[in-house]
Amino acid sequence: MSRRLRLAVLAVGGTGLAALLVLACLDLPSFGGRWHPYGEAAVRASLDRHTANTVAFVNFDLRAHDTLGEMSILFAAVVGCVVLLRQARDEHREPPQPSDVAPPVRRYALLVLPVALVVGLYVVAHGQLSPGGGFQGGVVAATALHLLYLGADYRALERVRPIGTYEVTDALGTCAYLVVGLAGVLAGTAFLANTLLPYGTFNTLSSGGTVPLLNAAIGMEVTSAVVVLLARFLDQAVEIEEEQGS
Amino acid sequence: MNAWILAATILLGAGLTAALWGVASGPLSRRMVAQNLTTAVACPSLLLLAQGYHRPSYVDLALLLALLGPVGTLVFARLLADELAVATPAAWGLTWTAAGVSAAVVVAVCAATGPSRAMVKLLVTGVLLIGGNLVASRALQGGFRQVRGG
Amino acid sequence: MADAVIVVVLLLVAATATAAVATRDPSRQALVLSLQGVVLAVLFTVLQAPDVALSQLAVGSALTPLLIMLSVRKVRRRARTTDEGGDG
Repeated sequence: MSRRLRLAVLAVGGTGLAALLVLACLDLPSFGGRWHPYGEAAVRASLDRHTANTVAFVNFDLRAHDTLGEMSILFAAVVGCVVLLRQARDEHREPPQPSDVAPPVRRYALLVLPVALVVGLYVVAHGQLSPGGGFQGGVVAATALHLLYLGADYRALERVRPIGTYEVTDALGTCAYLVVGLAGVLAGTAFLANTLLPYGTFNTLSSGGTVPLLNAAIGMEVTSAVVVLLARFLDQAVEIEEEQGS
Repeated sequence: MNAWILAATILLGAGLTAALWGVASGPLSRRMVAQNLTTAVACPSLLLLAQGYHRPSYVDLALLLALLGPVGTLVFARLLADELAVATPAAWGLTWTAAGVSAAVVVAVCAATGPSRAMVKLLVTGVLLIGGNLVASRALQGGFRQVRGG
Repeated sequence: MADAVIVVVLLLVAATATAAVATRDPSRQALVLSLQGVVLAVLFTVLQAPDVALSQLAVGSALTPLLIMLSVRKVRRRARTTDEGGDG
């Protein structure tokens, strides 16, 4: 394709997109309105099922199928990374040199590591009550573990991070979500329908029926997925060397 | 718009514009100091916004940023240690100013909250924010100088 | 007047995004990107979407910089070993 033709194609696409955007903008509700039909319905349904955080209710009850899809995307992406970033035949591992981090930084990392883990668990556990949930808390907990790499060295991280266990936990989290969904089918309603458990007292940790269970499954899956993903990246960046002259 | 949101708007507008200008130009050392400044500006602003919107649960955002912001700076300090060794940034004046602003905001929000469990969370956020900011500044000034290839 | 904070943060988002595109070196671009992550999180907060803001903070403040910087390190190290292999 010549340069001129490519520019012409770009111009046609750009004009079409601009026209559609302008048309869509003309029909938008005014900015910052307080009333929205879907919002009203979602809040009413969420209060009916004793879930304080409507976003968590939409994610794990009303649209639990969407969350299943998103979780599968993360799972597939991590599996893809594990396959792509494995140690190839013409590569070898070179153990990283121990590193000497300044004492204040090392102390900070060791102090903040447990705090960050607790905050991650807190964000997961309070997913159906306050902003947060399995994804956010899982990422925080997984990032917290890597303070060991930042504050000490890669070998310290490898010692507390049996990668096989995290791979199994990743799969288990995915299965747990499916099992909770299938339990609905076995109980005679529908896949992922939130009719299985009592809805509990509003604004407590156990309220919301299956929402906390699905939330915890996502938390487990995301934590392990991020740890496995970062492990592959760290392996490539720190340990795996290409053979000379290959 | 109340005074809390007005204060957050001014802090965000001035602080983040300065951080953007610092992070997008100049030598690497200056960019990293500006990146570290981001946390020290955005985290107190989030506390002010939580207070301004009367939403105590928004404090979680500030807590997360106080935890993870310094970790992000440590990531850069560690993985760019080779390049940083050439020119060591010295910005303790800026660091202590940021710490002072953070402390003032935390004290003001605590005073408005009154003694309760919410205040404990605010104090934890403040300690993490100021401590993390000081440690990240220390890390930028040669905290990873002995680290090679790992 | 009540929307002033939204306008300020939207302008900041536009400015940081432009700066991120205009920066060429990947490691310096990652620095601008981490700033943009924080600004986006503040935008979601002032638009009253704290769940999205939390996701953005969790991913953007430490995880994305770590992934980008590790990739940059791998590419640079690879270039260095290839150079040494070529010389020796």
